[in-house]
Amino acid sequence: MANGIRIENLVKTYGEGDTAVHALRGVDMHVAPGEVVGLIGPSGSGKSTLLKCLGAVIEPTSGRMTIGDQTIYDNAWKIPDLRALRRDRIGFIFQSPYLIPFLDVTDNVALLPMLAGVTNVEARARAVELLTALDVAHRAKAMPSQLSGGEQQRVAIARALVSRPPVILADEPTAPLDGERALAVVKILNDMAARYQTAIIIVTHDEKIIPTFKRLYHIRDGRTHEEGGGTETTS
Amino acid sequence: MISLAGRDILHSWGKFVFTGIGLGLLIGVTLTMAGVYRGMVDDAQAMLDNSGADLWVVQRNTLGPYAEPSSINDDVDRSIRAMPGVARAANVTYLTMQIDHAGRDVRVMMVGIEAASPGEPGQPPHLIAGRQIVRAHYEAVADMKTGFDLGDVVHVRRNRYVIVGLTSRMVSSGGDPMLFIPLKDAQQAQFLKDSDAIVRQRARTAQNPALNPPGNPGMIDAVTASQTSNPYVNVVLVQIKEGFSPDQVAEPIRRWQRLTVYTRAEMEEILVDKLIATSARQISMFLVILSIVSAAIVAFIIYTLTMGKIREIAVLKLIGTRNRTISLMILQQALGLGLIGFVVGKIAATFWAPIFPKYVLLLSGDSLRGFVAVMVICAIASLLAIRAALRIDPAEAIGG
Repeated sequence: MANGIRIENLVKTYGEGDTAVHALRGVDMHVAPGEVVGLIGPSGSGKSTLLKCLGAVIEPTSGRMTIGDQTIYDNAWKIPDLRALRRDRIGFIFQSPYLIPFLDVTDNVALLPMLAGVTNVEARARAVELLTALDVAHRAKAMPSQLSGGEQQRVAIARALVSRPPVILADEPTAPLDGERALAVVKILNDMAARYQTAIIIVTHDEKIIPTFKRLYHIRDGRTHEEGGGTETTS
Repeated sequence: MISLAGRDILHSWGKFVFTGIGLGLLIGVTLTMAGVYRGMVDDAQAMLDNSGADLWVVQRNTLGPYAEPSSINDDVDRSIRAMPGVARAANVTYLTMQIDHAGRDVRVMMVGIEAASPGEPGQPPHLIAGRQIVRAHYEAVADMKTGFDLGDVVHVRRNRYVIVGLTSRMVSSGGDPMLFIPLKDAQQAQFLKDSDAIVRQRARTAQNPALNPPGNPGMIDAVTASQTSNPYVNVVLVQIKEGFSPDQVAEPIRRWQRLTVYTRAEMEEILVDKLIATSARQISMFLVILSIVSAAIVAFIIYTLTMGKIREIAVLKLIGTRNRTISLMILQQALGLGLIGFVVGKIAATFWAPIFPKYVLLLSGDSLRGFVAVMVICAIASLLAIRAALRIDPAEAIGG
């Protein structure tokens, strides 16, 4: 899994002819394992479309996507079971944690490996390990409604990591948090990326966390512009 | 794998329990309706069982004595007793009437029985208090459901009867409790008029020259006597001797006595398939409507609960949960709701069944069938919610 995620010339067009909307006009992007990059852009710039394409939720019009050594899209899906792809190879963190309200913290995290066929004991052990790493193990038996916003987001991070996916897509994960907690979440994501060699893409509007990214992609009118290490490239 | 449906039910148990109670009361009504029908059938069978008869001899070409009026002479029983295979034969009359007792109206089926010899067909086979009728007049045995007590005096027409015995499960096919009185009294009660009516009838008879010819002064007395007496009964109940089949005994009676004879199976068919058939259809209609209402309620509740979890379902789908798992969760919740409803309904029906004025018989088989029906209805009702859940786009979990 040496390559993280790589996107080449990704295009997404909604509709046809005169009514066609070109949401993505040839996006290139690469995130290495263990790396956390930011993706920023104004409303309507194509952030969500890109995230949905990366998450195998909608099908791009053309282009190529690779996770690790495996091409998952090359002008058509190359993976027959997209649901299994999302379950096993892509982690999601949302703006709101969207924890399952009727499962306790441990089972919220353990659910994903359970769905993949891992035994309950093994899945819960993995969950506890992550909860410990994220410093919420003491809330393992609590219900989501009993957690603070920061705790909920950390549980959501644990849920995204529990299947050890090579890629995590985070959709404005710090939006509901104050500055200190937002920075803490980004630090956690950086630590987890390094620890599990996960490529993490964070879509954000949050000015507080933007300076923390070593690399940053701007998206505007369906095209990305990369910043980082003092360089800027345009695709 | 953990049960998502079970966890959701436990998490929002109040919602499920209260909805289940509402649904359960509806299921309880449905079970009770089925119990009312069963009670009617059981009442009919109990009436036939308790009559002690193997054959019912009634007026020719009638479905008497329960489904149609039947009238035969009260001396027919003697010739029937002489027929081959007949062990016992007894005249019986049936008359449904309203009795005023202690300021309340009691609807009873008054049964006229031959009191002279114990064990005659038609007599109540068991008593729970008191004794059988031993006198020829003015004694009565009442079913417990009449509310009469031993020693009570009840008025039937112009006569007063003392309750000397109490029996149970002696009801008509309509559920009216039986009141047994001596045959002669019952025959008289069927046609007994008040004094003014008798006086008027005598006057009319006397003015009719055909019935009161001037040359025959004794004729008016004979005509008047025949008008005020009732030599008819509704049925002759027959017990057959061992070694004879009902058909074997019935056939000669039909042929030689020119009467209609019903066996137990035929009489049961008349009562169940003819007399209470309309009621059964009525109840069936209620059962169908209640089933549809139950299904609509379950469908609405499960659909509403599912729509309240759109985001969670979208997240579940996004993180890779199979459609099968989500469908199973909704199906299990519907079945869980049905289970709660059925338990509540069964308990409710068991508690309120004895309060009903008519006999409500809750059979285990009906409960089992009801349970299966509830589960099937809930499964079908969940389809709408499952369809809606499967149409939820996992992209809804991602903003923008």
